[in-house]
Amino acid sequence: MILNRESVDRPSEKKGIAKARTAIEITGLNKWFGELHVLKDVSLSVSEKEIIVICGPSGSGKSTFIRCINHLENYQEGTVSIFGEKLESNKKSAVLIRNNVGMLFQNFNLFPHLTILQNCTLGPIWLRKIPESESIKQSMALLDRVGIAALASKYPGQISGGQQQRVAIARSLAMEPRIMLFDEPTSALDPEMIKEVLDVMIDLAESGMTMMCVTHEMQFAHQVADRVIFMADGEIVEIGPPDQVLKNPKWDRTSQFLQHVLSHKS
Amino acid sequence: MVITHGFTGWLKKHLFGGFWNTLLTIAVFTLLYLLLKPFLEWSLVKAVWTASSRRECLSISPDGACWAAVIRWSNNLIYGRYPDPLQWRINLGIGIGIIWLLPLALKKIKHKIVIGLMAVVFYPFLASYLFLGGDRGRLHYVIASVALAYLFMLYMNIILIYLGKKQTGQYFESLIERFVPRRADLLGHLTFLLILSVLIAFIFRDFSLQDVSTDVWGGLFLTIIISGFSIVMALPIGILLALGRRSQMPVVRWFSIATIELVRSVPMITVLFMSVTMMPLFFPNTMDLNKLAQVIIAVCIFAGAYMAETVRGGLQAIPKGQFDAAKSIGLGYWYTMAFIILPQALRAMIPNIVTSFISLFKDTTLVSIIGLFDLMLMARNISIDKNWFGLHTEPLVAISVLFFIFCYTMSQYSQRLERHLTKGR
Repeated sequence: MILNRESVDRPSEKKGIAKARTAIEITGLNKWFGELHVLKDVSLSVSEKEIIVICGPSGSGKSTFIRCINHLENYQEGTVSIFGEKLESNKKSAVLIRNNVGMLFQNFNLFPHLTILQNCTLGPIWLRKIPESESIKQSMALLDRVGIAALASKYPGQISGGQQQRVAIARSLAMEPRIMLFDEPTSALDPEMIKEVLDVMIDLAESGMTMMCVTHEMQFAHQVADRVIFMADGEIVEIGPPDQVLKNPKWDRTSQFLQHVLSHKS
Repeated sequence: MVITHGFTGWLKKHLFGGFWNTLLTIAVFTLLYLLLKPFLEWSLVKAVWTASSRRECLSISPDGACWAAVIRWSNNLIYGRYPDPLQWRINLGIGIGIIWLLPLALKKIKHKIVIGLMAVVFYPFLASYLFLGGDRGRLHYVIASVALAYLFMLYMNIILIYLGKKQTGQYFESLIERFVPRRADLLGHLTFLLILSVLIAFIFRDFSLQDVSTDVWGGLFLTIIISGFSIVMALPIGILLALGRRSQMPVVRWFSIATIELVRSVPMITVLFMSVTMMPLFFPNTMDLNKLAQVIIAVCIFAGAYMAETVRGGLQAIPKGQFDAAKSIGLGYWYTMAFIILPQALRAMIPNIVTSFISLFKDTTLVSIIGLFDLMLMARNISIDKNWFGLHTEPLVAISVLFFIFCYTMSQYSQRLERHLTKGR
């Protein structure tokens, strides 16, 4: 691995590190769904180990935006580069994404016919060609890290939503990504389960993972985000440190939206 | 009479709970009695079991069933016109098939999918070697030897597993690891299989069987051959066509749609006729086409097209999130299909798939129309035997019972499979 993870145990130092390397570079991204212009010339540069929180009203294109980064969605114009390599729809790019980018979904999307452990070991065994015994050891360590090693032999249908989302995190981590994308990871969860997932995400953030996270958890944004992006109508309306965007937004749209979110939460 | 409390309680609750309920129960039972009584009288009470001709049957009991005909013909009904002294080959072949599949029911055995796949790929060569006899060429002989060797190896391993010892192939592992470090376990098994195959091919080098043409194959045996082959082939053909129909590649998609729609919009009997009259036009003159092979190909394609739509239904039931998740951990198209999508789709479709299998099994009776002596045509032939002339009902009832036994077994097995697969979800 090129990445030097010395700062893993010293999260306080993290923000002080000079952000030399660019993890994700997006330039002039345009996407249409038929006539609908869902992403309008979006550009963004994300440094390694940076944590970005994206918020905005529904239909603002934030999920589509984040799904473009690992090519779950196609786009008509613009480029996405990961660690300096431009993504195209070919096998080389697929391998690049697979080795670097993990993703979490609103509905967890665990594989219901496989056990928790099998969910985690499938990718490592078949794609990274790791021997089965080693992969089981690694996955059990990850499941232990997210606090559900005891449930390894259960099926996804037998555990709670919060637990499922934590399994999904372990499943992504098993591929050893350097970038993690989160598409509203807590919106389908009960309030008491949100915390257990956020705790794991905070732990991840502190370990030096590059993260892009679509979420409405403002507390989380305050605590860990380096920058907060506010999107509306397929455009980045506002971008900056959490204090600036969340406390003193420049735009009316942003403050309106924030009021909605905050009043809903309390 | 001893009736347990539970039983009378059950009767009261379900059959005689209230006036109308009681009335309905009595009415239904009366109707059943009226309907069944003549049938039971005909088929059992007044039936004739031993006679040498229909005339004799009638003289013994004019309005009873003449089962003697079916019993006299039972050998033909099962084996067709396969020569009597060679019928052990059919028994042996079918027996080997059952023995091959038995380990699938054992709990301690792993990698059942490998056993199943080996059976699908290699068993037909071994079975056809037995059934056809004659000189089948070197390649066929070699593959049949491998098949037999695999079967021996399988059972050796099973015995070793139950004794708690290492499997046969694992004794070679340390030796192989010196030369090839990767996948020594697999190579160990392959080495043992190779040694055993050579040994078996050597032992049976002078072994030859009398040639039996497929023209004399018939009866239940032929029905099982045709339906077994098409049931096994229908699933892979169906899966490929279903995936093709959903493919992004236009040529693959068009081809799949054309095949599915064309085959599904033509009656099966037409497909069968086309297979025997039209298929030879597509092959060079020198190729000696066999009627049975043509029919099996036709039935496979027909069943595959229907299976494709069943599988497609299962595929459509899979949420899009599963594709997203598979893609997000980097699984490509074939891995996604093999590990994520198809296992779920096929599991959800088990009842429909088995329904197709059952109807396919019954539909094979249509091959009698193009002159293959399957169970149906054999049964019909009893009525033109000069001893049993005009005897239609009894043979048909008899093969109905046979068909029922087979189809009911399949349906019960599918229900067991479903329960087993949904356990713990």
